[in-house]
Amino acid sequence: MSAPLRRLRETPRHLLVCERSHVRHERSRHAARVRGHAYNCRVSFLIPECGVLPEPLKSVTTDMGEYYLVKNLPLHELVAQEFISAFVKTGSCYALTYNTRIDQDNTAALLPTGKLILSVDKDTYEELGLQGRPSRYSGKKVMRYIITIDLTDSAFHSDSKKYKRVLWALRDKKPLEFDFLLSWHHTGADGSTLMSYFSKHQIQAHQPKITFSTLRNLQCPVLCSNELQGKPEESCSAQELFEWLGAVFSNVELDNKSFSFVSTYCCPEPSTMMDQAYLCTITGFILPEKIIQLLDQLCAYFDEPKLAQWVTLTVHGFADSPVSWRENEHGFQKGGENLYNFVVFRSLDYWLQMAVGANDDCPP
Amino acid sequence: MSQSSLYNQNAKLGYSTVAINHVIDFKEKKQEIPKPISPSELLPSLPIIPGKLKPIKIVTRLTLVVSDPSHCNVLRATSSNIRLYDIIAVFPKTEKLFHVACTNLDVDLICISVTEKLPFYFRRPPVNMAIDRGIYFEVLYTPAIKDSTMRRYTISNALSLVQICKGKNVIISSAAERPLELRGPYDVANLGLLFGLSESDAKAAVSTNCRAILLHGETRKTACGVVYTMKKPQPVEEEEETLPACKRAKTQV
Repeated sequence: MSAPLRRLRETPRHLLVCERSHVRHERSRHAARVRGHAYNCRVSFLIPECGVLPEPLKSVTTDMGEYYLVKNLPLHELVAQEFISAFVKTGSCYALTYNTRIDQDNTAALLPTGKLILSVDKDTYEELGLQGRPSRYSGKKVMRYIITIDLTDSAFHSDSKKYKRVLWALRDKKPLEFDFLLSWHHTGADGSTLMSYFSKHQIQAHQPKITFSTLRNLQCPVLCSNELQGKPEESCSAQELFEWLGAVFSNVELDNKSFSFVSTYCCPEPSTMMDQAYLCTITGFILPEKIIQLLDQLCAYFDEPKLAQWVTLTVHGFADSPVSWRENEHGFQKGGENLYNFVVFRSLDYWLQMAVGANDDCPP
Repeated sequence: MSQSSLYNQNAKLGYSTVAINHVIDFKEKKQEIPKPISPSELLPSLPIIPGKLKPIKIVTRLTLVVSDPSHCNVLRATSSNIRLYDIIAVFPKTEKLFHVACTNLDVDLICISVTEKLPFYFRRPPVNMAIDRGIYFEVLYTPAIKDSTMRRYTISNALSLVQICKGKNVIISSAAERPLELRGPYDVANLGLLFGLSESDAKAAVSTNCRAILLHGETRKTACGVVYTMKKPQPVEEEEETLPACKRAKTQV
C-alpha cells in the first residue's frame, strides 16, 4: 500500500542544467548551445529598471525574420534532389510538422545540419519500410520509432540505392502528408525562393508576433554572478531565479496575499523592489541565428552604464518537436517543456540554465 | 443535441477515439441485442480535434452485465448482432463468472465494479490468465466525480486490482453521459497514479492499452488474427460472359 503513496510524493522527472561563464571567454559555448536548439517557439527577454527599449534592441526584435506555413505537403518533397540542392546544401533549412502531437501522431523535422528526423508510431513504421531505432522513452512494448535520414550524405544522390529506397517508401509505399513550418537562413540570394518553390502548395508567410509590456513595482531577487548556488542572506540561487522568472512570465502575484488562493509563491530572499521592468515576448517559428543576434544586442545593452544588474533571455522550444538539443530525443509525458534561459550580468558574466521534462535526454 | 455536444467536448479535450457503449443487463426481462448505431447516423460530420488535422474516430462497444452463467451463452451465438460491435465488454457480478470471463469468454474487456464494495476478491491465477489472453480490465472514473462514497469504492477497488495485476492491462475510462463528466486525458492519467499505477502505466492506460483493445476486437472478426476475409461483390455481367465459354468447352470435349 505504501508504493502508490510514495509515488504520489515524487514529482515527474525533470532536469535543470545550470552553467556559468563569460560572454567574451574564448571557450564559452553560449553560441553553440543556442545553435544546437533548432526549434524555438517563444523568446522573451526581461530588462529590469528599464522603461523604454533602446533603439538597436527594438530594431532586432522587429526584424526576427518571417516563417512559412505549408499545408498538406507530402513528405517526399523534402527528400527531392531539387529541394536538397536549392535549400538544404546552400543554407540552414528548418522544417517542423505543425499540428501533430509527439506522443500520438507521426512527426517529422528537418534539422539545419541536413538530417531529416521522423518520429513515427508502430503501425506507420511497419508499413514504411525504412530502418530506424526504437524510441528511448517507449517502454518494453515499443510503440514509437525514430528514423534518421541524412540528406547531405555523399551516398544520397539520385542514382544510389539508398535514395531510391527512401523515395519509394515515402512516395509510393506509405505517402505521408503534413502541415510544415518552414524557414531558411542563408547568406546571399533572395529569401523569397521558399515561397516560389512551394507555390503549387498552399504556402503562407507569417511574421512572429511581438508583445511589449512594462511591469511596475516588481520584486526581484538579488543575484551574485559568482555564486550559482546563492549565498544565504546575500544572493539567490539559480533555481530560485528560474522559478521566479516562471512566476513573472505567468503573471503570478508575488506577494502571497492572504485572500489569494491561486498561488502562495513569494519572491526569494534577498530581494529588491524595482520601479519598472521591460518584458518583451516574441512568438513564432524563430531561428537560432536571430536569437544569437538578440543575445549580442542584450550584451551590448551594458556598453553604457545602466541601473540594471542583469538581464534575462528565455527561449522555449516546441512541446511537440521530436528533438531538443542537436539530435537528442524529446518526448511528451505530461509536459513537453524544453527551454533555456540566459542571465547576462553587467560584467558580461552569464548563467545558462537548460531545462527539460520527463521523456527527454539530458541537455548538453 | 446532447450527444453531439458530448463528442465536441471529447474532441476539445484532445481524445482521438471515442467508444459509444451500449449496456445490456440480463437481470431485466428478455433483452434483445440491437444492431450498433453507425457513427455517420449520429453526427453528419465528426468534430475535428483542435491541434490535429484528423476528426475524432467513433467506435461501438457492447457491455454485458452478467450475473448468471446462462447469460454468457449469447456470446457464443453466431447469428446475433454481437459480431457487429467493435469492442465487447463483460461485467461479471460473481467470482465464478469473473473466473469464467478471464479464462474462457471471448471478450476484450472486463469491467470492475466501482460503485459498491467488491463482491469477491481478485485472485492472481485468473487475472494472469486474462493478461496472457490479451484481455484488459476497466476502471471507471465518472462515478467518482459524482459522489464521495463512490470515490472511496473506486479508489479501493482499483488499488486492489492494481496490486494483483501489477499495473498491466488496465484502462481507465469514463462512463460519461454529459459533457461535464468528462476529464482531459492527462488528468485521467494522473488519476491513474492514485490507483497505484506507475507513470508510464498510467499514460498507457489512456493511450496504448486502448489501441490494443481495438486491435483485439478486430481479431475477433478474423481467423487467429492473421487471415481476414471479405465478401467480394459479384458482378452480374461477368456470369453471362462465362456461360458461353463453358458451353464452348463442352462441345470441344
